[in-house]
Amino acid sequence: MAINVKVMDRPVEQVSYVRATLSGLAHTFKHLVDPHKVTTQYPEETEALSKRWRGTHRMLTTEDGKAKCVACGLCPTVCPANCIKLVPGEDEHGNRFPLVFEIDEFRCIFCGYCQEVCPEEAIHVGRHYENAEYSRDGFVYDLERLTAQTHPVCEMWDPADPAGE
Amino acid sequence: MTAPAAPANPGMVTLTIEGREVIVPPGTNLIEAAKTAGVLIPHYCYHPSLPVAGVCRMCLVEVEKFPKLTPACATTVGEGQIVHVHSAKAREARKGVLEFLLINHPLDCPICDQAGECELQDYTFAEGRKDSRYMEPKRFNPMEDFGGDVLYVPNRCILCTRCVRFMDVVAKESVLNVSERGDRAYIGKFEGADLTHAWASNVVDLCPVGALLSKDFLNKARAWELDRAASICPSCSQGCNVMLETRDNVVVRIRPRPNASVNQHFACDVGRLNYRWINRRDRLEYPQVRSSQGLVTTSWSEAVKAAASAITAAARVTVLVSPALSNEALYLLGRIASHVSATAVMTIARGPEAPLPGVKDLSLRAERAPNHTGAELFGFTDVISPTAGLGSNDLLIVADAAASVSAVPDGVRVIVIGTVLDDMLKGATIVALPVCNFAEEDGTFMNLRGRVQRFQQSKAPPAQVRPTYRVFGEVAAAIGAGSYPALASDVFATIVATVPAFAGMTYRTLGLQGAPATLPAGAAV
Repeated sequence: MAINVKVMDRPVEQVSYVRATLSGLAHTFKHLVDPHKVTTQYPEETEALSKRWRGTHRMLTTEDGKAKCVACGLCPTVCPANCIKLVPGEDEHGNRFPLVFEIDEFRCIFCGYCQEVCPEEAIHVGRHYENAEYSRDGFVYDLERLTAQTHPVCEMWDPADPAGE
Repeated sequence: MTAPAAPANPGMVTLTIEGREVIVPPGTNLIEAAKTAGVLIPHYCYHPSLPVAGVCRMCLVEVEKFPKLTPACATTVGEGQIVHVHSAKAREARKGVLEFLLINHPLDCPICDQAGECELQDYTFAEGRKDSRYMEPKRFNPMEDFGGDVLYVPNRCILCTRCVRFMDVVAKESVLNVSERGDRAYIGKFEGADLTHAWASNVVDLCPVGALLSKDFLNKARAWELDRAASICPSCSQGCNVMLETRDNVVVRIRPRPNASVNQHFACDVGRLNYRWINRRDRLEYPQVRSSQGLVTTSWSEAVKAAASAITAAARVTVLVSPALSNEALYLLGRIASHVSATAVMTIARGPEAPLPGVKDLSLRAERAPNHTGAELFGFTDVISPTAGLGSNDLLIVADAAASVSAVPDGVRVIVIGTVLDDMLKGATIVALPVCNFAEEDGTFMNLRGRVQRFQQSKAPPAQVRPTYRVFGEVAAAIGAGSYPALASDVFATIVATVPAFAGMTYRTLGLQGAPATLPAGAAV
């Protein structure tokens, strides 16, 4: 038994796609003559990062170039990814100082707790994302590398100033 | 006012602390009474092992019908007292005390060794102000070396005088005092005196803040990184109860654990600093048997078999043990020795005795071995030269006692069952079996008064190392001296069943405080 199909009798101006095609092409040609920018020509161009961007770490230093870290052990304690290795010791003046301070950036989840917990404002997450390396070992940043980096650091969200101004 | 009702508990005092009824003997102070109700009254200068000073004012509590707040450490309980520890008035007073204590405190918790176990941190977090109103410059005094293992950081000091009272009353060697007055006061040393007393490091534990620090532990680890296990100090036969504190499977500190019957709250400097050998890296790690290629690594079953056949084949056997082995290990060694009619000997290292005068029967003992009483009980005799009289084809079993052997006579074959394989013994060794040291296994020691005390495992053993009681049990079984269980608690149950001195004990009843054994005079198994 044949299926009864109801055939709608619509006017040609409704069923023709010429009009829709022309409208689409018009949109295309409009963009050809007036291209507003959507593609960033990375790496020649880069976009500005948020002030609260959390990327690879940086260790800030004192005026004499030494790491501000006093090896208090709070960042390895608070780190949820367990990616900070710290061995405390003493420097030549008998001050508490990290003998070993390593961050495994592969393991890091960039939560920023280390920066938040640091009582000396030493360790910071950075506004930075270009981290390519040729070996996996290169992602374990030691103290020398952390202090040598120069990229800007994250400005943490301040509860007293929620708008961040 | 009506006359108080006759007390329900004669000879005891009933009072109410924080709404909880407490029944304590008369003369108890409020801090101790509150502890029985599970209420901690904050305090700094009070310590159960020291006389009451009442200088810190931190334990101020409100007692109904008292005209003003009273220091709980210096107030004895009274019948029907109603004590409020956390009333608004008491909290406000303690908040004020804390604010004053923090005026000259440097707040250098990030670099302070006490952080994490600091009572100033704890109580400030619990009851203190969020901020400081003190804007003036803080007082500064430089760090001072107090001699011995003690470093003094005067800026962190809250002048509770626990250290002064310990040296005066318990150590009975006045070294420390409170120098100067008022806000310039600090803990000073008497002219020419140093903290060189054999028990002086206790001031580091007594200090509630980070003012007195151990030089040995300085900057080594943070308190919250440490794993702790209850243990017994292996440095002498006193058997002080201690905590072994480990970080990443490495023992970094030994601290006393309170036991009113043995060491109260104290431990001597020798015991505290004698822990590095526990972390030795040059351990014997795999069982070895001598073949034509020299000592070669083999399987445990092969090595035990080789040891057993050497023991049964030997005409004359000497078993030389360390008096630092556990009762479990020594019992099994005793069974091995008696099965083959061996000479059972040990040597006890000796050193100068150093008593702590303020505590009855507490001393760094001359016998520097934790279990020589147990070893004697299991039939081992103290000799000066354990290898004397040994000749060709004799067998010497050295159970973790390489230090007792100065030279191996020619022709003597040696079975080493120990933590390390000494170079001097290596040439004569036919079988070497690696065993745990006391920090890597469970067991019991018997101190010089016959008190049996448990120690617990605090770190993992390296490689294929096995517990002493298991290795000795297997060797005993292989030579036909009976079969023994493989768990420390079960071996202890075997001892209890066969040795009358241990009658009625189990690991559970010993707990972590131990129990005295019934020592018969001159007993041997």
